[in-house]
Amino acid sequence: MAQPLVKKDDDRDDEAEYSPFLGIEKGAVLQEARVFNDPQLDARRCSQVITKLLYLLNQGETFTKVEATEVFFAVTKLFQSRDIGLRRMVYLMIKELSPSADEVIIVTSSLMKDMNSKTDMYRANAIRVLCRITDGTLLTQIERYLKQAIVDKNPVVASAALVSGIHLLQTNPEIVKRWSNEVQEAVQSRAALVQFHALALLHQIRQNDRLAVSKLVTSLTRGTVRSPLAQCLLIRYTSQVIRESPVNAQTGDRPFYDFLEGCLRHKAEMVIFEAARAITELSGVTSRELTPAITVLQLFLSSSKPVLRFAAVRTLNKVAMTHPMAVTNCNIDMESLISDQNRSIATLAITTLLKTGNESSVDRLMKQITNFMSDIADEFKIVVVEAIRSLCLKFPLKYRSLMNFLSNILREEGGFEYKKAIVDSIVILIRDIPDAKEGGLLHLCEFIEDCEFTYLSTQILHFLGIEGPKTSDPSKYIRYIYNRVHLENATVRASAVSTLAKFGAMVDSLKPRIFVLLRRCLFDSDDEVRDRATLYINTLGGDGLVVETDKDTKDFLFGSLDVPLVNLETSLKNYEPSEEPFDINAVPREVKSQPLAEKKAPGKKPTGLGAAPSGPPSTVDAYERLLSSISEFANFGQLFKSSAPVELTEAETEYAVNVVKHIFNRHVVFQYNCTNTIPEQLLENVSVLVDASEAEEFSEVVSKVLRSLPYDSPGQTFVAFEKPEGVPAVGKFSNMLRFIVKEVDPTTGEADDDGVEDEYQLEDLEVVAADYMQKVGVSNFRNAWESMGPDCERVDEYGLGPRESLTEAVSAVSNLLGMQPCEGTEVVPSNSRSHTCLLSGVYIGNLKVLVRLQFGIDGSKEVAMKLAVRSEDETISDAIHEIVASG
Amino acid sequence: MILAVLFANLEGNILVERFNGVPAEERLHWRSFLVKLGAENLKGVKNEELLVACHKSVYIVYTVLGDVSIYVVGKDEYDELALAEVIFVITSSVKDVCGKPPTERLFLDKYGKICLCLDEIVWKGLLENVDKDRIRRLIRMKPPTDF
Repeated sequence: MAQPLVKKDDDRDDEAEYSPFLGIEKGAVLQEARVFNDPQLDARRCSQVITKLLYLLNQGETFTKVEATEVFFAVTKLFQSRDIGLRRMVYLMIKELSPSADEVIIVTSSLMKDMNSKTDMYRANAIRVLCRITDGTLLTQIERYLKQAIVDKNPVVASAALVSGIHLLQTNPEIVKRWSNEVQEAVQSRAALVQFHALALLHQIRQNDRLAVSKLVTSLTRGTVRSPLAQCLLIRYTSQVIRESPVNAQTGDRPFYDFLEGCLRHKAEMVIFEAARAITELSGVTSRELTPAITVLQLFLSSSKPVLRFAAVRTLNKVAMTHPMAVTNCNIDMESLISDQNRSIATLAITTLLKTGNESSVDRLMKQITNFMSDIADEFKIVVVEAIRSLCLKFPLKYRSLMNFLSNILREEGGFEYKKAIVDSIVILIRDIPDAKEGGLLHLCEFIEDCEFTYLSTQILHFLGIEGPKTSDPSKYIRYIYNRVHLENATVRASAVSTLAKFGAMVDSLKPRIFVLLRRCLFDSDDEVRDRATLYINTLGGDGLVVETDKDTKDFLFGSLDVPLVNLETSLKNYEPSEEPFDINAVPREVKSQPLAEKKAPGKKPTGLGAAPSGPPSTVDAYERLLSSISEFANFGQLFKSSAPVELTEAETEYAVNVVKHIFNRHVVFQYNCTNTIPEQLLENVSVLVDASEAEEFSEVVSKVLRSLPYDSPGQTFVAFEKPEGVPAVGKFSNMLRFIVKEVDPTTGEADDDGVEDEYQLEDLEVVAADYMQKVGVSNFRNAWESMGPDCERVDEYGLGPRESLTEAVSAVSNLLGMQPCEGTEVVPSNSRSHTCLLSGVYIGNLKVLVRLQFGIDGSKEVAMKLAVRSEDETISDAIHEIVASG
Repeated sequence: MILAVLFANLEGNILVERFNGVPAEERLHWRSFLVKLGAENLKGVKNEELLVACHKSVYIVYTVLGDVSIYVVGKDEYDELALAEVIFVITSSVKDVCGKPPTERLFLDKYGKICLCLDEIVWKGLLENVDKDRIRRLIRMKPPTDF
């Protein structure tokens, strides 16, 4: 709330001494509002009280229902006054109080009277108030007046009715749509604002009628539009019409392009920008079309008004994402914006330059950015760091200067999110640019010497443990890691111990020295650190001699925990201390099937730290271990691929079931993860009855029953099929869950002895071609493509029919093949009419496959595709074509 | 949609706060965000010089007028340019009502009139009137002169 001003120095104006609202208090103002009930109204006093009420409301003060009702009823008494100024305040107050439906009736007649008043201004205001507080039934009563008002000769009255219409369209569309004739007439009004409001309303009424919008645009682009605001609306609607109409096939001309181009010469800046933006956003815009728009935007880059500079650089930043070359002419102007006082503008300029810059300008740009970074807020810095990361991936040869830049800013002050963004970027660069690895790791080592964030220290230590031992001289990292054991908190110390152990396991020559260090950790003050040191000294084995570490130990150190933490936690809570030790193998391996809504939550961006981008190998490892522990599947050989879980039930049903498809060379195993969500039931002998009549090449060999499925404790049942060896057989399977259900007494938790057999229909499941393909990326597609050679290359062309967009076509084909998009080529620039997407994968039989997809889309949205496949075996290349041909 | 119009004094205390389509629980966040933005950037800025920022998909145009800072927040069609238009109307009307760039005291003295001006300029998130002379007449319930 505003603080009353205290007495200031004597030389200040007297008027500044006290606030008229000094000590204002709601209760007192509500008391004052009783003057509204006086038989002799004092208009001035009443206006003052209303002002106080408005002040309270504008400060975020709220009135209780009773208080609001009381004030509202009191305010309605003021309609008796003939004072014009007071009446205006009354209108505002009623709108602010937004009376409830049962209270509205008290003012309706007064407002209706005003709406028919001879005084125009009463009419206009009464319309605005009525429309604000009205409901559907009242609206039909006043509809006639509103229609008249729309074509009223007083522009204020007409605008009031039109703007009311825009609001009412949300709640009572069927009524407002009946006004389109009057609104159409108002569009021709000579009053600029009436035309603006009428145009907005008319478009909203007709927005789903393409022909009507097209007619509206055609007539207005030929006629006169009186206000810049209306002109902006017209440009927007024109863009919509352009999007929906084809380009002239003979001349290549786009309808209405001339209109947009003409608007670039309008006297209002607002209109120029709107037209420039509309042109840059045209689908498949050509450089000839783009040039005039870019030229005007470039002029605005040096405008004295920050808003115009911001608008220009924001638009160019967007253009740079899809047409970086078109923006390069503006680079010099944009470079001068790096020192712009407005940091939003400077950040946009830098990120644009990072997109449009070429390899030779990188160094110069980095110098400019270095000066800039010190005086912007963290949120802007993060944007810049992300842009630099993309730039480095684009120009890998420039990694040295970009990595240096990142390490320099890592040393400077900054909050957690900013530091995390930098660390993530360095990690991604280390992973994607092999040459950057050693330098990058050292930068991270230096960072943890003075890192205030435990989370980042532990993440870096973990990453060092994986990457450090693979470098040419792993010993140089040990000092940094061991320093942590002396200088940091227990969490970081424990991480450092694990990292040391990883070096010991991987680098045999370092093992004796690691042992010495680990032994010192046995005297740490923290339990966890001591426990880890003890554990690793025992597991590494060899008693500190230079011996090779056995595979099990490496698996233990580098493998991830294959038990979901939630399940482990539940099992540990249920474990009762006894003679029998806790058995980690008894912990259920499968995560409870999650409600669908949760899965749809937007995924986090890959952070860089942790798992590789091609998917977490830990899950595959976990599946492999789980399957190999089941004797029936022991002779199936090496697991080729496990699919992501496919939901077979709707969210929130009694039994939640999802299935994971495990592909072997000659077998397919369906792992059904079941969860019983009914506390009063225990399920036993749970199995899935699979009908494979639509999957001819598959024959069922094993069905493994789940003995017991208690409430909320996930379990698995399996069905295995045999299929022809190495053949990517496909088919459809229908599934029925079968079980014995027993009642459970919720108080004792005991189940009845007798159960009833029951079944539960599940969704169908399909095995598709993509199941036989592993998503495995390559870091440099071109190299991989060329080294594969053209011997087994197969090229063919396909028509994909009409598609929503190129993006949709690209994702449809990538999903059909189940391959990994490389080098970000799955992203189609918004206006492209052609696109190349690169895919890589490993096909069943462990054969590498590379695919180059070239797409083109024409005006009628027909998509054509050229598919080139290279693989190690021509039959595989043919098989890929077959998948596409039959998909 | 114009999401918010906010006036604050030099110390960052709110004088007028009007939100449209912003959930109640987000208002406090917006208020503190805007006041912080002003505190960081408005020092030494000339009267009516417009500053601009964006926060996610929302645009903010703000300025200072006398002892009062003014913030306008919008999204979609109310981008930085449209908001510049809105804030221009607001500053001209406030100057018109107060006769000069207002001190805080003067602003509060004319509080009722300023509320009426805002009511004429922004109606539930839509820009309604753009001409200060016309607004001056409308708040006194006089028809516009060009009519």
